[in-house]
Amino acid sequence: MPKGRAGSVAAAADPITQFFASLDAPGHLETFEGESAKLRFDVHDGRKVERWHVSITRGDVAVSHSSDPADATVRIERPYLESMVTGRLNAQAAYLRGLFACEGSVGALMMFQRCLPGPPGSTGRVAPIPSKTVMAQRGVK
Amino acid sequence: MSGPLVQILEGNTFVVSDERGDIESSLTDPTGLFSFDTRFLSHWVLTVNGQRLNALSTDDLQYFQARFFLVPGSGSVYVDSKLTVIRQREVADGFNEELRVLNHENEPVALKIRMDAASDFADLFEVKDALKKKGSYRARVADRHLVLAYQRQTYVRETWISSSAPCDIDEKGLSFSITVPAHGEWKTALEIAVSGGPAAGATEGPGRIRGQRRVRRDMGRGLEKWLQAAPRLECDWEPLGQIYRRSLTDLAALRFSTLTMPGRALPAAGLPWFMTIFGRDSIFTSLQALPFVPELAATTLRALAERQGTRIDDFRDEDPGRILHEMRYGELTAFEERPHSPYFGNADATPLYVVLLDEYERWTGDTKLVRDLEHAARAALNWIDEYADLQDNGYVSYQRRNAKTGLENQCWKDSWDSISYASGDLPGYPRATCELQGYAYDAKMRGARLARLVWHDPAFADRLEKEAADLKRRFNREFWVEDGDYFAVALDCDGRQVDSLTSNIGHLLWSGIVDKSKARAVARHLMSSRMFSGWGVRTMAEGEARYNPIGYHVGTVWPFDNSFIAWGLRRYGFKEEAACVVAGIMEAAEMFKGRLPEAFGGYPRNTTRYPVQYPTACSPQAWSTGAPLLLLRAGLGLEPHGDNLIVDPALPQRMGNLELLDLPGRWKRIDSFGRGRIDTDRITLR
Repeated sequence: MPKGRAGSVAAAADPITQFFASLDAPGHLETFEGESAKLRFDVHDGRKVERWHVSITRGDVAVSHSSDPADATVRIERPYLESMVTGRLNAQAAYLRGLFACEGSVGALMMFQRCLPGPPGSTGRVAPIPSKTVMAQRGVK
Repeated sequence: MSGPLVQILEGNTFVVSDERGDIESSLTDPTGLFSFDTRFLSHWVLTVNGQRLNALSTDDLQYFQARFFLVPGSGSVYVDSKLTVIRQREVADGFNEELRVLNHENEPVALKIRMDAASDFADLFEVKDALKKKGSYRARVADRHLVLAYQRQTYVRETWISSSAPCDIDEKGLSFSITVPAHGEWKTALEIAVSGGPAAGATEGPGRIRGQRRVRRDMGRGLEKWLQAAPRLECDWEPLGQIYRRSLTDLAALRFSTLTMPGRALPAAGLPWFMTIFGRDSIFTSLQALPFVPELAATTLRALAERQGTRIDDFRDEDPGRILHEMRYGELTAFEERPHSPYFGNADATPLYVVLLDEYERWTGDTKLVRDLEHAARAALNWIDEYADLQDNGYVSYQRRNAKTGLENQCWKDSWDSISYASGDLPGYPRATCELQGYAYDAKMRGARLARLVWHDPAFADRLEKEAADLKRRFNREFWVEDGDYFAVALDCDGRQVDSLTSNIGHLLWSGIVDKSKARAVARHLMSSRMFSGWGVRTMAEGEARYNPIGYHVGTVWPFDNSFIAWGLRRYGFKEEAACVVAGIMEAAEMFKGRLPEAFGGYPRNTTRYPVQYPTACSPQAWSTGAPLLLLRAGLGLEPHGDNLIVDPALPQRMGNLELLDLPGRWKRIDSFGRGRIDTDRITLR
C-alpha cells in the first residue's frame, strides 16, 4: 500500500485505491523494464483533490500520495479515472476527447496507460464463422 | 475543383489544394488542411476585387513547400494582367502562407483582397466514408485572429487565422483594402494554426504554435542533409539515379515523429490518408530502407514497443504482446466509434517486429537496442504461441473480434476478397494465411539468434529453434498443394487448403520456411506467365476464379510485394529470377517518373506497353517508396555476414555498371559495385 495510507474497508472497495495498490504491491512490472517515468494524478472529487504519485524506474514501481513534481501531471475527475482503472474507458480515447488534461510528457502518459486493464467482458475469443456465412454476407453464391 | 491537386506535408500535417492554392472541399472531397487526422480548414479561397484567380504556374518547391503564380480572372481566355499574385505556402503546425501582390502598371492601384475561410473539422474517416458530424460549429474574432471552432462535449478543435498586414476580420474571412504603388508590391504573412488535439498539451491557441514554428525553419536544410547522408549511387542506366533520388526524397517526406519521440522519425504509411503509424507498413518500409537509413528501423522498433499490446481488448483486437496495426487521433477514435486508439487487428506485424529487430542488429551491430527491447521481443514471440494460434493447430490465424469496425483480413492483403479458393469461394474464419507461418518461422529463428547472442538465454534459443523446425516440417506437408506444386494461400477454419495460387508464396521464400526441395517449383511458378506480367509478379495468378488484372489484391502488381519476392528469390539462390523482378519493377518505376505507385495493373506487359496505375491508390506510399531500395539490395546481393558485408551482384544487363557507395552499417561505411550481366529478356521469355 502507498506510504501514509491506513487500509480501511472503504479504501479497499475504492477501485482507484485498489488499482494503485495493485501496482505498488508487486513493486515491479515487466512491461516497463525498459522504461522510467514519474506521473502524478491530481484526482478532483468535488472540492477535494487526491494525489497519486507513480514512479517507474526500469520496471520498479513505487506509489505514494506525494505532491512532488512529475514528468506528466494528469488532472482528472474521479469518475473518469474510476472508469479507466476498471477498463471501462480507454485512456487514449479519453485524452483525445478532452476528458482530462495532461501537463508535461504525453509519452509518460502513453507508456503508463499500458498497465490499465482491458474492458470487462473482453474474452479474446469469438466463434468461428463458416465459409457459407462469409459467402452469404458478401452476396457470393 | 480546377486542375490537379497540390499536396504538401510535414509529419502528419498536410495541405491539399487546387493549383491556384484554393481549397473548396466537401465532406467527401480530400482537400484541405489536415492535422492529426482532422481537417482544420475546408474552405480557403482568395479573390481580388471579387474575382477568382487563374494559375500561371505551380511549383512544389519541397515536399513541405509550394508556390502558386496567379493572375486575376479565371476561365480559358488569354490573360493580359497588370497584376501578379504569388502565394507561397509552407506546412508548419498548420501552415504559413505568404501572399504577395505585384503591380506592373505605372499607376498605383487600389484593390480589395479577400481570403474566405471555413472548416468542417471532419475526421479523416468521415471524409473517407462520408459521415455526418455530431458537434456544433462557431466562428469568432478574437485577439486579431479569426477563430474557427468545433465542439462536441469536451472535444474541442480550433483553427486560428491571422495576418501580419492590417485587415478587417469577420467570421467568414479576412479582407484587405490596399493600394499597391506603381511597379510596387504589397505582401502579408498569413498564419493558420491548429489548436486542440493530442499535440496541444496544456496551452491552447496560437502562442504555442509560434514557439514551434522556429523548429520548422530548418526543414529545407534537413532534407539536404538527409540526401547527403544516404549512400551515393552511380549507374550506367540513367533512370536509376532518378528513381533512387525520388525514393529518398519521398521517404524523407513520409518521415513521421511521434508525440513520445520528438525529433526521431519513423516511416508513416502513405499520403494523404495514411500519415500515421502502421505496424506493418512501418516495419516493411524500415526493412527495405535498412541498408540506406538504418535509423528509421531503430525508431520504428522503439515506437512500436512503446505501444505494444498489454491486455485483452476485443474492440481493439488487442492482446498482450501484439504489435499495433494503426493509430489515429481524430474525433471518431476519440469517441470510440472507431477502434484506432490504437487498433491491433493484424496478424503479421508481431512476428515481423522480431524479424526487423534481428535484421537491424545484423546490419548495425546495435546490441544495446536489442537489450532494451528484450521484453518487447519476448512478448511478441509469446504472442505467436499464446494468442495467435486461434485453432490450436500450431499455426498463426486471424479472426476479428470487433465485428463492426475491425478488419476482416488481418494480413497485408486486407481487402474482403483477397483470400479465396481457386474456385472463387471465400473461406470462413479463422484463416491461417501461408505468409504468416513464414513470418512466425523467421521470427523464431531470428529470436533464437538474439537470445543466444544478446540475451544470453541459450535454453530459450534452443526452444525457439525446435519450435521453428517443427513448424517448418508441418507447414511443408500441410500447406503444399500436391497436384499444383505450390503452397496454398491459407488453411481455412476446418484446416482445409485454400488452394489459389498467389504472390504470398514469394514471401515464403523470403522467410526461409520453404524446404529446399520445393523452392525450385515455387520460383518457377513466380516466373510463369500466369504470375509474372513482365513488370512484376501479380498478387494472384491468372486463371484463378477471382483473378482480375485491376483487382486490388487479386491480380494487380505491387512493387512492395515484388521487392520482398526478389529478396526471397535471392535467399534461395535464384539470382536470374530475382534480376527479372528487379528489371521489371525498376523499368515500371522509370515509366512512373521514379515514383512507384502502390499498385499497378496486372495486364501482360506486351499488351499494354505501359504499366497501368491502379485507380485509387495513394501516392507516395511508404513501402512502394522503399521498394527500389530493397530491389537494389537484392540486385547487388548485399548480405551482412559478421562484421562484413557480402556483395554478390546479379543485375539486369541493361543496368551496366552500378556503384552504391558509403553503405552504413557495423562496418562503418562500405562501397559496393556490380555489373549487369543477366539478359532478363531472355529469362522472361523462357
